[in-house]
Amino acid sequence: MLELKNVSAGYDGIDVIKDISLSLNYGENLCILGPNGCGKTTLIKAIAGLIPCKGKILVEGKDIGNMKRKEIASKIAVMSQLSSIFFSYSVYETVLLGRYLHMKGVFKGPTSYDKRCVEKCLKAVGLYEQKDKQINELSGGQLQRVFLARTLAQEPNIILLDEPTNHLDLKYQAELIDYLKEWSKEKGHSIVGVLHDINLAMRLGDKFLILEEGRIVSCGSANKAVTSNVLNKVYSMDVVGFMLDSLKKWEMLSEF
Amino acid sequence: MKTKVKILITLLICIIVIILGIGIGSIYVPPKTTINILISRMFSKPLGDIPDASVSIVWNLRIPRTLLAFIVGGALAVSGTVMQSVLKNPLASSYTLGVSSGASVGAGIIIITGLSIPFLGMFTLPVFGLTFGLLTVFLAITFTSKLDKNMSNNTIILVGMVFSLFINAILTLMSALGREHVQQLLFWQMGSFSSREWSSVIILLPIVVIGVIILMRYSRELDLMTFGEDQASAIGVETHKVKWILLGLSAGLTGSAISFVGVIGFIDLIAPHVVRNFFGSSHKIVIPMSMFIGGAFMVICDLIARTIISPSELPVGAVTALIGAPFFAHVYFSKRKVR
Repeated sequence: MLELKNVSAGYDGIDVIKDISLSLNYGENLCILGPNGCGKTTLIKAIAGLIPCKGKILVEGKDIGNMKRKEIASKIAVMSQLSSIFFSYSVYETVLLGRYLHMKGVFKGPTSYDKRCVEKCLKAVGLYEQKDKQINELSGGQLQRVFLARTLAQEPNIILLDEPTNHLDLKYQAELIDYLKEWSKEKGHSIVGVLHDINLAMRLGDKFLILEEGRIVSCGSANKAVTSNVLNKVYSMDVVGFMLDSLKKWEMLSEF
Repeated sequence: MKTKVKILITLLICIIVIILGIGIGSIYVPPKTTINILISRMFSKPLGDIPDASVSIVWNLRIPRTLLAFIVGGALAVSGTVMQSVLKNPLASSYTLGVSSGASVGAGIIIITGLSIPFLGMFTLPVFGLTFGLLTVFLAITFTSKLDKNMSNNTIILVGMVFSLFINAILTLMSALGREHVQQLLFWQMGSFSSREWSSVIILLPIVVIGVIILMRYSRELDLMTFGEDQASAIGVETHKVKWILLGLSAGLTGSAISFVGVIGFIDLIAPHVVRNFFGSSHKIVIPMSMFIGGAFMVICDLIARTIISPSELPVGAVTALIGAPFFAHVYFSKRKVR
């Protein structure tokens, strides 16, 4: 279970998110929505323990402020948007890096369990056949699947998503989100995701958190938190009208 | 080709290069004789009919010189590999953080003042060089951490450059004040393996071997950090602590190496790129292979430096730069074209 108690965090002493409190049971997925600059990524970084914060973030009742990096990583994994690759590794090597926190000994060699786990994750994302390929030879969609496999190899209970569908085409976006949803339901684990696309967020989330200028506007199930009033207010536009307008066009197109 | 085969070929090349490095010079010693001398000295076996002069040249001059070149080349290459990965910059090296400028000032103080600390004797210069080199890096990193709590790579590189420029200015001032020593200082800054004895090898070898083994222990952390520090942290790496250790260790390796032989550039830049081209990016392989390739490359450069205008010698730093600059351009740009 993930619990945030009056969490404020930011950069250079200025709080970007302010006084955030929420709780999430394992098996539930939370999507964070809000306009650019509202603090979504900052909240993800705070939950991952990547930036210091005021207040308390508890995972299974334990404050992450008192946990070592490896202990946090054993509970929480982060999947971000694609960034440039500095050095190329093989697909297998990249996914094996997800086992880092489980590797013991001075030189941290992989055990047979680590190898089995990597193979299982590669099969799960459909990249086992390409395990010897270099990651700089892959398409954006394949590369993001490699990082998904690496995240899964970490064997976390919570996966934090920071706009992982950016730069992916529609098919890969839907595949990624559907896979993650299935993973959370099957394992009884949780996902906390920042997704710019409200449609994808609705597909993934059981709970929704709407942020505006670092503060919670609403939080809860879709029908409670994602109301047209709230969306129109935080995005300063007629969001639902825009969606319906698009839908009408699709309906017209589908007649042909 | 499989990685194991590539490693074996690399090791074989290293052995051949070392034997050639020992054999070639003003007096040519055939590889067979070199091997015989090595075996007889190491296992106390009779030498046969090999002339004493050859034995003396090989054992007292060529072997320590060649081994020292190999060790220094290896240390510089490994240090360059680590710096490039930690700072995520293909042009980064310990020199970026001011280790060479600092070491040059330390060496300059000893050369100009002629100071010799009794219990250090002939090692006064290396000890001063290393101390000043490491002090500069320590100050640069400490200053960076005060300036930027996240210790971002760009800040580290910029602060390192500012420190280097500032310390170079001190060196220029020192050169202006002690003009009669300028030539000696200049030669030190271009590096040389001439008249190096076994004592240098015996001191430097364990430092480099231990340093490289500790760095190899951080292979996985280095792999992860090349994907970005946030990603490495999220997978469990204590990035801040690891960065300090890695920067300190690689600066220590470079500092120890150059304090014995003077500043030698380009090996730290080229070797890691060549190794990554052949062996991929995994640091478990890249670190030891950088040591071997860097070592072999340095032995070849030293061989050229001492034979091309024989009986005079060129500074080895000039040779590494003359061969290294076009070679680096070829390796780096051909790789980019492929992409």
